[in-house]
Amino acid sequence: MYHSFEVDGVDHTLWLSASRHGYRLHLRDEVIAPVAFTQRSESSGILTIAGQSEPVRFVIEGELIHLHIRGTTRTLRYIDPLRSHAAGNNGACPLVARAPMPGMVVAIAVSPGDSVSAGTALMMIESMKLETIIRSPQDGIVERIHVKENENFEHDAALVTLSKEGF
Amino acid sequence: MQQLPFDTVLIANRGEIAARIIKTLRKLGLRSAIAYHEIDARTPAVSMADLAIQITGSTPIASYLDTGQIIAAADQARAGALHPGYGLLSENAEFARAVTDAGIAFIGPLPDTIELMGDKIRARNFVQSNGFPVAICVTEEDDPATFASRAQAMGAPLLVKPSAGGGGKGMRIVRDLNTLEAAIEQARSEAGRYFGDARLYAERYLEYPRHIEVQVLGDCLGNLVHLFERECSVQRRFQKIIEEAPSPALSQEVRARICDTAIRIARAANYRNAGTVEFIVSGDDFYFLEMNTRLQVEHPVTEMITGLDLVAEQIYAAAGRELAFSQSDIVSNGHAIELRLYAEAPERGYVPTTGKVLLLEYPNDVRIDSGIMQGQHITPAFDPMLAKIIVHSPSRMESALRAHRAVRELVLLGCETNADLLARIVSDEAFLGGHFHVGYLEQNPHLAAGNFAAGMSAFLASAALLTRPVRDSADAVPELHSALGNWRN
Amino acid sequence: MQRIGSAADVDSQEFRRNDLHNRQLAAELKVRQRSARFERPEKDFERLRRQNKLFVRNRIAALLDPETPFLELSTLAANKAYNGEVPGAAQVVGIGIVAGREVIIHADDSSVKSGAWYPLSVKKIVRALDIAIENRLPVVHLCDCAGGFLPLQAEFFADRYHAGRILRNQSILSKMGVPQVAIVMGHCTAAGAYVPALSEYNIVVEGTGAIFLGGPPVVKAATGEQVSAEELGGALMHTSVSGTGDYFATSEIHAIAIARNIVARFHRPAKSCINRVAPEPPVYDASELYGIIPKDARGQFDMREIIARLVDGSRFDEYQPHYATSLVCGFARLYGYQVGIVANNGVLFGDSALKGAHFIQICDKNRTPLLFLQNVTGFMVGREYERRGITKDGAKLIMAVSSASVPKFTIICNSSHGAGTYAMSGRAFDPRFVFSWPNSQISAMGAEQAAGVLTHVKARQLARTGGRLSEQELAGIREPVLEEYRERSSAYYATSELWDDGILDPVDTRTALAIALSASLNAPIDAPQYGVFRL
Repeated sequence: MYHSFEVDGVDHTLWLSASRHGYRLHLRDEVIAPVAFTQRSESSGILTIAGQSEPVRFVIEGELIHLHIRGTTRTLRYIDPLRSHAAGNNGACPLVARAPMPGMVVAIAVSPGDSVSAGTALMMIESMKLETIIRSPQDGIVERIHVKENENFEHDAALVTLSKEGF
Repeated sequence: MQQLPFDTVLIANRGEIAARIIKTLRKLGLRSAIAYHEIDARTPAVSMADLAIQITGSTPIASYLDTGQIIAAADQARAGALHPGYGLLSENAEFARAVTDAGIAFIGPLPDTIELMGDKIRARNFVQSNGFPVAICVTEEDDPATFASRAQAMGAPLLVKPSAGGGGKGMRIVRDLNTLEAAIEQARSEAGRYFGDARLYAERYLEYPRHIEVQVLGDCLGNLVHLFERECSVQRRFQKIIEEAPSPALSQEVRARICDTAIRIARAANYRNAGTVEFIVSGDDFYFLEMNTRLQVEHPVTEMITGLDLVAEQIYAAAGRELAFSQSDIVSNGHAIELRLYAEAPERGYVPTTGKVLLLEYPNDVRIDSGIMQGQHITPAFDPMLAKIIVHSPSRMESALRAHRAVRELVLLGCETNADLLARIVSDEAFLGGHFHVGYLEQNPHLAAGNFAAGMSAFLASAALLTRPVRDSADAVPELHSALGNWRN
Repeated sequence: MQRIGSAADVDSQEFRRNDLHNRQLAAELKVRQRSARFERPEKDFERLRRQNKLFVRNRIAALLDPETPFLELSTLAANKAYNGEVPGAAQVVGIGIVAGREVIIHADDSSVKSGAWYPLSVKKIVRALDIAIENRLPVVHLCDCAGGFLPLQAEFFADRYHAGRILRNQSILSKMGVPQVAIVMGHCTAAGAYVPALSEYNIVVEGTGAIFLGGPPVVKAATGEQVSAEELGGALMHTSVSGTGDYFATSEIHAIAIARNIVARFHRPAKSCINRVAPEPPVYDASELYGIIPKDARGQFDMREIIARLVDGSRFDEYQPHYATSLVCGFARLYGYQVGIVANNGVLFGDSALKGAHFIQICDKNRTPLLFLQNVTGFMVGREYERRGITKDGAKLIMAVSSASVPKFTIICNSSHGAGTYAMSGRAFDPRFVFSWPNSQISAMGAEQAAGVLTHVKARQLARTGGRLSEQELAGIREPVLEEYRERSSAYYATSELWDDGILDPVDTRTALAIALSASLNAPIDAPQYGVFRL
């Protein structure tokens, strides 16, 4: 799996490999070696690329790498493979808060249509002589409440169905 | 030299011009006060000013247009004079009057002059009636019902413009007369939105003219001089991005003629203080376009070739002093170029860009009029001009080379700018040869587009080497396997 | 170390004849490998596309670190079985680099019979996990298997090394602290369900991945319950309800990114430390191997010519160069790693066995891995040799080979017959890897010899019943025997049955060995210890 940087809306895949003589940079259609970066200060350094030295000014801001080289400025964004590939179709499925054990509903804290965040208390249940708060597993909108107050339920029963918001 | 009648000047502006004015105030031993909106708290002008007074408004721009608050701030600062800079309230006659009425010296021309020259149609009619050349034009005001047909009669191409305002806003080029009606509608709606004044006029559009302007300076005793011309033809969307002085296009004869015309127009308008007469130039012919009754963005190129400090001259004029020199004392020396650094992406149709200035390094052997500092947020609240780079050399070619080096040495990270475009222009053959006009960038789209792929490998290499996951994954591979590379059996 | 002075005459007619022949064999190998790897009926690719699945080769490409090698093992497994309809035994196995870590990749190839497990599939997976155990290599399983191929269940279900062994090996790996990660990219049914379950980490791909003991049809038949695959054992259910699954992935690529992230966090134990210097390429070009390997398997060649084209700087420090010359022993370096080489230069005699046994013990004491280069027709037979105790000496060599603790690697360069196969670290002696060259032959006896023996036996049986065979009848018996024998002793048959870990183009041998050697050093090397040598 190659690394990927986005520049002006275009993805550039690359890979860096180590060798006895420094790093090799593998781009789509060329290999440049050796490449090296010597940091001089918090925001400056020298890039050595194919035998040439280039002063570089840079600032790293999270996944953004702002660079100034040879009079040109560009901002590159490192694409985290975990995050970018996760951004798929996972908004489609409704999420259900289920009963962790058999018990009885003490109080319901939300109504259908309510917008909830991850961790919002949805209802209080009583089980094994203990009161437990059922919390929303993630951000969403309350779609349906499956139980009423004082109603008994079995283990794994659906308590609240949430739908995702803004996806 | 006699004492100035005021010791404190309030700056009713922001950004680079406010900072530039403060520099002169310091030089003259005057106190500087600035009225600022919170959004500008971390800008050079606010940190440089001796006194900074916060003003508020429904939007940042609204606060800078709030006459009441600004005059109150001037009072609070005990300011004896007010400098309006450019843009904002600088050409607002009502404001100038209110300032004057409050007993504060307005650093600019008389309110009546602003009123006369600030309205384009009125100014044009005034200039024409005084016998100076103006472009053929029809105005809506004369007879709204026949405006379209009169415009049509001039023939294509036409330029439809709002009577009020400037900065290229609301302007429409009509090359096909069938689209005239639609263009008028759009221009009217934009004019209404931007200037609260929907009146239009239409003029004959010279396809590829130059935009050349003459700086004038007058005192309250009626002395007037010109400070030569500025070449302002490198424009995008009717906005200047590179200016220079002198213009490479004018012969000595035309230069003398155009400067003389400017002086005579100014004299006719009873002009005092600094002002600019703008002309459209085509070949050896020129037409009056408009007069700007304020300091111009591009005034530094004039300062460089004349050695004058225009802001200081403005202050002296407002203080009632007589001009300290006559026309013959003013000599043009060498060549100056100004590059305007904008927060915008020329590659994407010049859309404004925003961001935080994470790193800012200016080249140190050129003049920089900067409105930004490291750590500042560039917001879409104002005009996207960030700074100006001004160079001065004995010849135009040397100036261009220096400008090129300077703009490439300038480091601004965190917000996209037009620096690459500026560098491309000042090294472009047509620019270097002096062969350009207001349609230059439009005709050469490659300049704005740039060469996307150029030098990309150096950027990718730096990014790769500066990104921990990329470096880590290279270092994690055992030496043997790294040496074997992409081997398959 | 002395550089081997090659005596090969690259302009000789023999060299050129060999070269032509062996290049053809190498080309044929490449064609067969390409076909086994990539050629599928279009409908199978179409099915994958419909299912929103990547081809197994693309999955592996995404999993591996770019610009790193992948040593694929047993590419041609099952090439002689099941009418050739199950290329690679529907499995891809190899050693590759994932997030900088040497791992075994085991991937079901669902473009073949939906990834169903055939008997040889099971054998290939068990072997993959044996490699993982022996070399302590983490495993990445790419699971996409339709289940066992039931008509042949008798050949893969119940026995010791049948499918149960996969789960047993997974458990042993875990016990040893060697982690596994499984990506569920298709259905994991029945025994297959335990592959992700027994992995330390697993990732289930939404929509296509599912784990269940019985799929929806089985559930319907057993209890009448109607349930979809996603509901029964899909990604969401297993990662949020049952806890059978660890990570929910929205796509195969997402799952692979998660797996890479997991592997990056694996502990990296220090490798076994053996003598190593900076690598150096051989002086002689590897492609000259083609001209040295004889066209006729019975042709003779000097194994030092092979060594000269495998080892660093073509340097070879020979041990006892003038004693028992039919077994060449000595030290060399392979990508800088010191190895002890044991190579045949003719039939094994008693003194060859003694020399070999002694040399193996030196290497073992010295922590030097062993490389066996086989070209052996067996031990010498005959009254005199038996009287001198050749069996006793052979037993010493077999004892040394069996007991050596350092990693062993075996290349079947040409012939491999009889007890020679065993004494030269054949498959049964647990070398870490066995590779064959395309020209090689492996069998209890040489084909001609075997056909002769078999024909002789037949003829004697007939003679007992009073019959006599004409030359023609003898030939009629001999030819089919010879033909079948040849077929079953070919490198392709051997690799089909997983008697080796794959056929190598001779020029790839050096690199394949380096990867194998590096992998082997992930396991600690036990202290030398031997059984009783018959003296």
